[in-house]
Amino acid sequence: MMEGRGEAWFEPRILGFLCNWCSYAAADLAGMSRMEYPPNIRCVRVMCSGRVEPSFVLEALKEGYDGVLIAGCHPPSDCHYQSGNLKARRRYYLLRKLLKELGINPDRVRLEWASASEGQRFAEIVKDFTERLRRLGPNPLRVDRVGAK
Amino acid sequence: MVDSHGDLKIGVYVCHCGKNIADVVNVKEVADFSSKLPGVEVAREYLHMCDDVGQEMISNDIRELGLNRVVVAACSPKVHELTFRETLRKAGLNPYLLEIANIREQCSWVHRSDPDGATEKAKGLVKMAVAKARWLMPLETKTVEVTRSALVIGGGIAGIQAALDLADNGYQVYLVEKSPSLGGRMGQWSKVFPTMDCAACILTPKMVSVSQHPKIELLTNSELIEASGSLGNFAVKVRRRPRYVDEDRCTACGICAQKCPVRVPNEIDFGMSSRKAIYMTSPNAVPLAYSIDGENCLYLKRGICRVCERVCEAKAIDFDQKEEVLELRVGSIIVAIGYDPFDPTPLEEYGFGRYKDVITGPMLERMTDPMGPTGGMVLRPSTGKPPRKVAFIQCVGSRDARFNLYCSRVCCMYAIKDSLIIKEQSQGSDVSIFYMDVRAFGKGYEEFYLRSQEAGVKFIRGKVSSIREDPKTHELILRYEDTLMGTALEDSFDLVVLSVGQVPRADTEAISKILGIPRSVDGFLMEAHPKLRPNDAIVDGIYLAGSAQYPKDIPDAVAQASGAAARASIPLSKGQVEVEPLSPLIDEDRCGGCGICIKLCPYGALELEVRGDKEVAKVDEVLCKGCGTCVAACPSGAARLRMFTGEQILSMIRAGAG
Amino acid sequence: MGREYALFLGCLIPNRYPGIEAAARKVLPKIGIGLADMKGASCCPAPGVVKSFSRPAWLAMAARNICIAEEMGLDVLTFCNGCYGTLAEANHSLRGDRALRDLANSNLKEIGKAFKGSVGVRHLAEVLLKEVTPQGIERAVTKPLGLKVAVHYGCHLIKPRVLREWVGSTERPTFLDELTEALGAESVDWEDKMACCGAGGGVRSAVLDVSLRMLNRKLLSAKEAGADFILNVCPFCHLQFDRGQVELQRLYNLQPYDMPVLHYVQALGLAMGYGPHELGVDMNFVRPDRILNKLS
Repeated sequence: MMEGRGEAWFEPRILGFLCNWCSYAAADLAGMSRMEYPPNIRCVRVMCSGRVEPSFVLEALKEGYDGVLIAGCHPPSDCHYQSGNLKARRRYYLLRKLLKELGINPDRVRLEWASASEGQRFAEIVKDFTERLRRLGPNPLRVDRVGAK
Repeated sequence: MVDSHGDLKIGVYVCHCGKNIADVVNVKEVADFSSKLPGVEVAREYLHMCDDVGQEMISNDIRELGLNRVVVAACSPKVHELTFRETLRKAGLNPYLLEIANIREQCSWVHRSDPDGATEKAKGLVKMAVAKARWLMPLETKTVEVTRSALVIGGGIAGIQAALDLADNGYQVYLVEKSPSLGGRMGQWSKVFPTMDCAACILTPKMVSVSQHPKIELLTNSELIEASGSLGNFAVKVRRRPRYVDEDRCTACGICAQKCPVRVPNEIDFGMSSRKAIYMTSPNAVPLAYSIDGENCLYLKRGICRVCERVCEAKAIDFDQKEEVLELRVGSIIVAIGYDPFDPTPLEEYGFGRYKDVITGPMLERMTDPMGPTGGMVLRPSTGKPPRKVAFIQCVGSRDARFNLYCSRVCCMYAIKDSLIIKEQSQGSDVSIFYMDVRAFGKGYEEFYLRSQEAGVKFIRGKVSSIREDPKTHELILRYEDTLMGTALEDSFDLVVLSVGQVPRADTEAISKILGIPRSVDGFLMEAHPKLRPNDAIVDGIYLAGSAQYPKDIPDAVAQASGAAARASIPLSKGQVEVEPLSPLIDEDRCGGCGICIKLCPYGALELEVRGDKEVAKVDEVLCKGCGTCVAACPSGAARLRMFTGEQILSMIRAGAG
Repeated sequence: MGREYALFLGCLIPNRYPGIEAAARKVLPKIGIGLADMKGASCCPAPGVVKSFSRPAWLAMAARNICIAEEMGLDVLTFCNGCYGTLAEANHSLRGDRALRDLANSNLKEIGKAFKGSVGVRHLAEVLLKEVTPQGIERAVTKPLGLKVAVHYGCHLIKPRVLREWVGSTERPTFLDELTEALGAESVDWEDKMACCGAGGGVRSAVLDVSLRMLNRKLLSAKEAGADFILNVCPFCHLQFDRGQVELQRLYNLQPYDMPVLHYVQALGLAMGYGPHELGVDMNFVRPDRILNKLS
């Protein structure tokens, strides 16, 4: 599998999809509680993790993001729209298989669950994901390999 | 494809939020950066975009510069999206041509030790918002009539207060209570602090008001099983279990209960007494009628007996009653389902369940009730005699990393109250309260605490580490630390009361799921904002009252209930709600009628309709909640979620990458 | 059927009560527990004293001991509550916390070792309970003891509870009583059974009088319960109960309790027909005559 071994220090660029009711609220709560996490992530708000199309994720990787985080409500029953998170999960598993076929490390796409009260958890997830991506190295599709922010 | 307005004129407004953003993010740099983005006509920065001056700034630019898109980089859209939409609307611009970049909760507040990184991120977020802005389209809300009635779930003091306030305001209220009677936990207590009022005396008049109120429909033996819809228009299903007793005929004479052969533990007395299969929860029950417990009634389980029916002079027994499911439409919902007392069995060191004379606070409360298991006298369960030396242990199950971290607020006060009752009942009795901190926070509470000290109640600061029984005397030996004296000691008592806290009711999870309202980390129902919206649930139109939201005493429960009722009245009094354009648009030309979306919708809001020679998907705007799952799955891109289209999201992705 | 373990002896057994090791080497292989020596193993180090002085030093020393077992590819087996406390906690911390692991490994690098987290740490009680099982022990017993035993669990064996799922209840555990009853003995209920013996946490070293006061209460209640001996699974508890009786007599002029003390492996040995000399039972300060007479 093609992989950039990030020997030099580089700042990963991460795209996040946060669902309005749970993970976006968790991210806001992390802010209200003044938790800290690295600024490598840029988040897009959607109403439900079920809105996230696999093509969005592929587009993001094509655009050079080193990692994509999809965060929704805890299965089975926290989803504000009943089952959107379950659909997101199904799509995620298929997406991982597809990524492997494409030669992209599937660990660059991460699905997480964070409820509205889990501000700390959200911060921990972002910290952890940032570090893992830093060790994975830059996205091989990324044009600028030096890793400017 | 560019937007239909042709000439894009975006205004970007970067907020300092006082120092909240400006202390970390270089706001000026962000504004300068924004001014150079494609389509941006003007970029400004200001201290508080949400205040009058800030809003004026935006309105003026809209009017004078002909702005047709607005981007505000400030706090979370959850805080001020509505505020700024209103600003746009007043200035004559469609309120949906607004995009907010969250550079506070998700930027300045979480990257304080990296101001450079935060500033770069803020620029990136604004760039993404500007990119999305070009794809925003003007949208209209729909005005929908509100059903002018409310549902209150839970018939304890909070539910009762909320129902009365709403009904007094003129709205139809459905009050749903799971047990056969109103009253809840307050109905189980005998005296309440700090006034030492008789709980039943102050509660019963309210219960009677509920039952007599022309605007309140009281549904006891009932529970919520389903809910759908949204603010102003909820459709709920309530299951009414049969009482098997005709409430109108029953005279509450009690002969049925005397003759009933089945005895089961009485939940009201926490198992310290028994009741019959036909029973009333208390002599002050509302409705004042007996109820048959279907799980234990011999006739209902095994088809034998029916003694109650034979002896009932009022002919009130009706075994033909069936379970019903009521379908109601309401505009607001208030959740006041209350709490359960913490079960201290897992604290093996205290021996609850092993030693008869170790009881909980609620059990002691029942003993002090003249209608309770001991006729109002505090007695040692092992001997049936009054105790001479009583110990209260505070914070059982609360402020404990093994169980619940939170403080349950009421336990210090109820222990003080009960200690005074014991002192009154047994003159010369020795009462000690083992505490970590005494929380006497409310009006009259500190004075009450002082009163107990003057009455001779001992307060020992320290945790009790273990309780064991003296094999000879059967007294309970408590080993504890007296932290103020700095010693570890042991002492014997003949009755130990564990002051257990409040925990969320077992059915909180079910209610949370049915209504789609999340719970906090502690398991109680979560409020929309801990400071500014403590009575609102996260979902619009649903409100919280009482201990369902967090442990509290009666004054706070009543205050919150009235607050929730006021909040719940807002949509009802307005009579209308604006329904956001959440549902997707289906491009009928693109739609191939594949039907994938139909199967995915959790609300059944999609169906196929014939259009000429093909079938296309059609959205029911009332049922649709706007999640976008169908949109994500649509293979032809025929479905577009107006506020979160594919182009909007893709443009954000591309803008944020560079 | 049987498993091999890396035997971690610690300090007290080789230095003060070698009889426990002797007993273990005889009885454990008979019930399917193989013992392999850990060459170069040092003091665990003690969970109370050393850890409170320097956490990095404690961690590095514990890690070094675990590394020896890792190199052998075997789980660590210990008969001492204190060693168990240290090694189990160190193992858990190092496996879970990368920063701590890096810290320990940076120290271990100097002696050419690296912690991998590849082995587990087991106390004899857990292995007897889960692998041999009380039934398995019963089968191995040829001379049921027929004595009354005051079973002493000790502290580090059962707490902190989060690292010891196998223990069950920490307030009222039953596993050691079950293992004792499998020897054909009766586990008596004695007051403050779960109380600390008074030795650990630096108490015995720093404040001997406090330590002995705690011990005295335990001995009194064991006596009141009519116990024939006190059973332990830790050489420090063993030392406290044994030597402590002598100190109580000498320092406080108390009447001798004459309460024999046995480590589980010694009691098991007696129940399997071994003689007291083979098990080092006669090396205790408190003579075991009372029970030996009852046994024969």
